[in-house]
Amino acid sequence: MSLSNKIYSLFKNKYILILTISLSIFIGVAGAQEDVSCYHCHTKVVTEFRNNIHYDKGFTCADCHGGSTKSNNSVISDSVMSGDFVGRPTRNHITDICSKCHIKETEDYKTSIHWDAIQKGHPDAATCTDCHGIHDIRAIKDPDSSSNHQNSPATCAKCHSNKEMMSAWYYGIKTDRFDTYKESFHWRALDKGYTLVATCADCHENHKTKSHTDPTSSTYTENLPKTCGKENCHVGVNFDAKVAGGLVHDKESLHTAELKWNKTDMDPHMKDYFLGPFDLAYWIAIFFKILTTTVIGFFTGMVILDFLSRLKIQRRF
Amino acid sequence: MSRQKSIEVLESKKNGERNMDEIYFKRFTFNQLAQHWAMIGSFMLLVISGMPLKFPDAWWSPVIVNLLGGFAMRTQIHHAAGIGMVILGVYHVAYHVFVDKESLLDRKVWPTLKDAKDFWQTIMFYLGKAQAPKYGRYSWKEKFDYWGAFWGMVMLCVTGLIMLYPFKAMEVIPYAYVHLSTIVHTDEALLATLFIFIVHWWNVHYSPEVFPMSKAWLTGNLSEKQMKHEHPLEYEEAMRQTNEKGDNSSISK
Repeated sequence: MSLSNKIYSLFKNKYILILTISLSIFIGVAGAQEDVSCYHCHTKVVTEFRNNIHYDKGFTCADCHGGSTKSNNSVISDSVMSGDFVGRPTRNHITDICSKCHIKETEDYKTSIHWDAIQKGHPDAATCTDCHGIHDIRAIKDPDSSSNHQNSPATCAKCHSNKEMMSAWYYGIKTDRFDTYKESFHWRALDKGYTLVATCADCHENHKTKSHTDPTSSTYTENLPKTCGKENCHVGVNFDAKVAGGLVHDKESLHTAELKWNKTDMDPHMKDYFLGPFDLAYWIAIFFKILTTTVIGFFTGMVILDFLSRLKIQRRF
Repeated sequence: MSRQKSIEVLESKKNGERNMDEIYFKRFTFNQLAQHWAMIGSFMLLVISGMPLKFPDAWWSPVIVNLLGGFAMRTQIHHAAGIGMVILGVYHVAYHVFVDKESLLDRKVWPTLKDAKDFWQTIMFYLGKAQAPKYGRYSWKEKFDYWGAFWGMVMLCVTGLIMLYPFKAMEVIPYAYVHLSTIVHTDEALLATLFIFIVHWWNVHYSPEVFPMSKAWLTGNLSEKQMKHEHPLEYEEAMRQTNEKGDNSSISK
């Protein structure tokens, strides 16, 4: 009996066959865990990295962190952490790593107010990883990505609704930006699952985020008509810069269907614009509130009276 | 808004075999009925597709939006039904001003002094201190329904069109009024919805007088009993005119 026949007869026993197959699957799975070096110690990080778009494209730890690409199973990873290895890049060096490939994006980012703040030493100013994630960077189109279009409000609010983070460094940044965005139809539609609406990055730019006082900013008053009228948004409409200026982050917005009732609190420059001469719009709005209340109140009263009178007069005819 | 010079008294032909005694009074023409049906259809669509936006934070808001097929579909339904209602309004005015031959001033929908008296008498009647007022062709409630709907249609159509084309509108009117129209539109819509659901439906559906409903909106006719009860003055006038004409043979009494 030759050897191959022996092996063949061995596999005739189905228990041995099943055992062999499950063992090979186990080895396959266990081996798959090993395809990223550093897994033995940095299990959590590597697990996150498996969701990373860069993992899908075949990048490894060393592509960002530097050092050796060689898999290392020893306790102290001398060879991995050799050379240009950077364990935890500081905030102002993260762009150096990303810019190795994403040159255009880094260039754009370096014109932003976030980069300015980092240059000035702000401890928390946003850099690549704050919006895109650190080890779980996903593709922009992935709905779970923090830099996905519809997740942009939540991602920006992480910092911009944080009072300590905003006020500790610079008092000019308002923390109600997400709350005031929630007053807009953009948010109301987004909240109801209609994603074809403007979120933060659509108006403020994703990488070239600048202060609205900067004349090159997309949210500079004079540039707003262009920003609102950009492709896929309000194309071809005749925007007045002043109109666009009031659209999103203010309670007196076209998009909120609510008048600010305390009209004395209103910005004096905008008051004329929103309320017209003699605060006419305000008084007309009041008139309609009163009209609705009185008409419904009065006629509901009539219906109730009618009903009560029938309790007395059982049959009127 | 009736075009009748003399009030038509119709013999019921279809039901003739069943009840020879029954006569019907023509209340609405088919044209008027069709307008009312179109109004019901567009109004209901507008309420269902509009209220989720008036109350975006209510629990039922996303439920309705999803049932309508998503937010974009909700918007399209609202716009389509709204434009339908604008067309209906234009048709109504055009028909009853230009096509209807009856002189505008002779129409019975105009409010009169008698309506004010009837209004007061109604309250007194509800309080048990007076007899029920006797109405002619249209009671003050019906006139209020009509003119309320007329006012609401004008307000909602105008503000709706402004919101549909805000930037076109801004070439003509200042921004303040574009902004205002969102408030006027939703306020008026809420008023109309509550008025129809509470007051109008009480008068024509829920009230024990008509429950489960007055069939005039389907047939356009009123029975003699209804006519005597709801529009006694018109009934008397109809009887007087038919007697004068001498064709009371057509009424099988």
